[in-house]
Amino acid sequence: MKYFKANLFIILILLFLGSTAFAARIEISAPGEQTIPLAMPRLVSMGVGSVQPAVAAEFQQVLQGDLELSGLFDLVNPASFLSDAQKLGLRRTDIDFQQWRILGAETLIKGGYSVSSGQVTVELRLFDVITQRLLTGRRYTGKLADIRKIAHTFADQILLSLTGEKGPFATKIAYISKRTGHKELYLMDVDGHQSKQMTNHRSIVLNPDFSPMRKELIFTSYSKDNPDLYRKEVYTGRESRLSLKQGLNIGGRYSPDGREIAITLSKDKNSEIYLIGTDGTIHKRLTNHYSIDVDPSWSPKGNKIAFVSDRRGNPNVFIVDIRTLEVSRLTYEGKYNVTPAWSPKGDKIAFSRMVDGVFNIFTIREDGTDERQLTFGSGSKEHPRWSPDGRFLIYSVDQSGGDKSIWVMRADGTGAKRISAPRSNDSHPAWSGRW
Amino acid sequence: MESPRKQRWQQLQSVFEPGFKKMLLISVLLHLLVPILYYSPFFPKRAIEKPPVYRVNLVNKIVKNPQAGRPEAAPVKKKAVVKPQPKPQPKPEPKPVVIPKPIPPKPKPEPVKPKPKPPAPKPEPKPEPIKVKPQPKPEPKPAVSQAQENSLQQRLEQMRAAQERKASEQARKDKIAALKAAALAESNKITSPITDAPVGVLDGKGDEAGVSAVAYVQEFIQQQWSFAKYQAAGNPEAEVKMFYSAEGTLLHYKFEKKSGNNAFDESLTRAIVKSKQLDQTLPEAMEFHIFFNLKDMMDKP
Repeated sequence: MKYFKANLFIILILLFLGSTAFAARIEISAPGEQTIPLAMPRLVSMGVGSVQPAVAAEFQQVLQGDLELSGLFDLVNPASFLSDAQKLGLRRTDIDFQQWRILGAETLIKGGYSVSSGQVTVELRLFDVITQRLLTGRRYTGKLADIRKIAHTFADQILLSLTGEKGPFATKIAYISKRTGHKELYLMDVDGHQSKQMTNHRSIVLNPDFSPMRKELIFTSYSKDNPDLYRKEVYTGRESRLSLKQGLNIGGRYSPDGREIAITLSKDKNSEIYLIGTDGTIHKRLTNHYSIDVDPSWSPKGNKIAFVSDRRGNPNVFIVDIRTLEVSRLTYEGKYNVTPAWSPKGDKIAFSRMVDGVFNIFTIREDGTDERQLTFGSGSKEHPRWSPDGRFLIYSVDQSGGDKSIWVMRADGTGAKRISAPRSNDSHPAWSGRW
Repeated sequence: MESPRKQRWQQLQSVFEPGFKKMLLISVLLHLLVPILYYSPFFPKRAIEKPPVYRVNLVNKIVKNPQAGRPEAAPVKKKAVVKPQPKPQPKPEPKPVVIPKPIPPKPKPEPVKPKPKPPAPKPEPKPEPIKVKPQPKPEPKPAVSQAQENSLQQRLEQMRAAQERKASEQARKDKIAALKAAALAESNKITSPITDAPVGVLDGKGDEAGVSAVAYVQEFIQQQWSFAKYQAAGNPEAEVKMFYSAEGTLLHYKFEKKSGNNAFDESLTRAIVKSKQLDQTLPEAMEFHIFFNLKDMMDKP
């Protein structure tokens, strides 16, 4: 018996070794499809309250716009949808996944809505068609006017489910528009809708930036003749002057923790970068050079600031260490590099470079390597700012005809699309944090 | 004086055996009866199932000793084998559908139980909606029971539902056929720049035109894998062991090492589930140790 057991053990070992020895080794170093096929049938009425196809249509349009911008998906053509697209199907057992698989979809968004006494309720689900699993689901209730916000919020949820990181679609864009004849501060959604005027200074308003902690903005305004730094609360509309030093108080940028503001001041007749508190008091002077130092941008860790200086002749991007005040040069190529914006992920710095009289957006790593041009073609592209998740960049385009507009694109320069209205004369965008 | 024609007929009649006319009539009736019985519900007909059609791309055929060459030399780069076109669906019992005939209600007192009719088993080339003939107005016979009328109504409803199901199924098939045709037309537009290159694998040492099982499985699984570069964070890597039978069926898989990136690992699970049946058989049951990463995707700007 003992002999038999020993033999059996040896045979099993040999079988195991044999099975592993003949395993063919394969390396697959890229997926066959670099987008996720997604089917998104229109919302179906849940049978409560009135049927309002316009609600479903608007929701569809907003969600589709967000998901297309994400670059993650390849949307299945709705013309090929089969009978399951007409069904509500909020539970996995109610869905004919085979139909969606035939169409090549790997993910599926199903949803229903109901409208009753001015309130809309939307139930949404994201399914994995292949493994027939529910990936995420949400129920939203709000006013009819909130349908766009609901769509943006669910788009963020979809990105969270499929990438592990929330999307930036339910955030806000601040920008400067001259549509009234004066440069005023405005707020809009990420897709350019729901535009709202925030200031009425009848002067020049510039350079907005969002507080990372509160629903408030800082910006520079010439309303009191001097370019002073203002703070404005978004919901109450309360406004105050934060820094009113003589000379320039421009390019204010909140630190990542929201406790300090990096700003260009020219109180000593030369523009330098300073750190000021949220009460306007100066905490620290960061640069001390006879050249012009402007446009500060914080690193996400809050220990460094990129800025523009002409201390080497032409405007270039430099980095200053806040603790040691050591300054290092970042850009060497080109003769005119301005408006740096440090990615919230910390890996890249976006900036504008002028070549042959036209600005384009570039990115570069903190160590000066891996410089890439993201935009091409006619029209100057300036003032790049990152989305809070670092996936997208927003910037202004100045066409030669005088039309200024705001555009958004992915961080690799693909998927660029205009979001500001035609002939609205918009520039200087800034992207809010989580709203 | 009788006409010659009548005389000839009389001559013929004299030749006939007695009772010939009767026999002729019975024979004709019997011949008529055969097709009537054949098409009646008493003789259920089995739909002739067409054998599945396999289209084999010989260029990417799995061979034991592939020659040196380039796997992408296929004139049209697409999947090696196309699945049997219309998958024979499990059909209900081959009972033919009885087309409703206007049945004059008979005054039978016992209530008739409604019998559910199965859907039509035979896919017809063009399903023309069968028009239910309008019921002839029942004669005012007072003996018609309510139960019988209800049963008739139920049967009609069932017939209508079956027809609607059939029509929607056909519409779905038409849509799929149109999509497949469009996809085929699109793929036919693609022409390879290296049509005359030798077909094989890069490290082939044999003499057969085709690809090795390993190269085939690698390409097959890669094509099932969807992952967007915007989902990637870092350089995720995962190792999976997959065991295939000689018939090309995935028997078992196991993640030897997960990447830790949930989106990446889930995309691999989807690819594995989609690869549970290969389009070709393998020379033998095989085990594959597959390393998934994004080296080629993330290196691109």
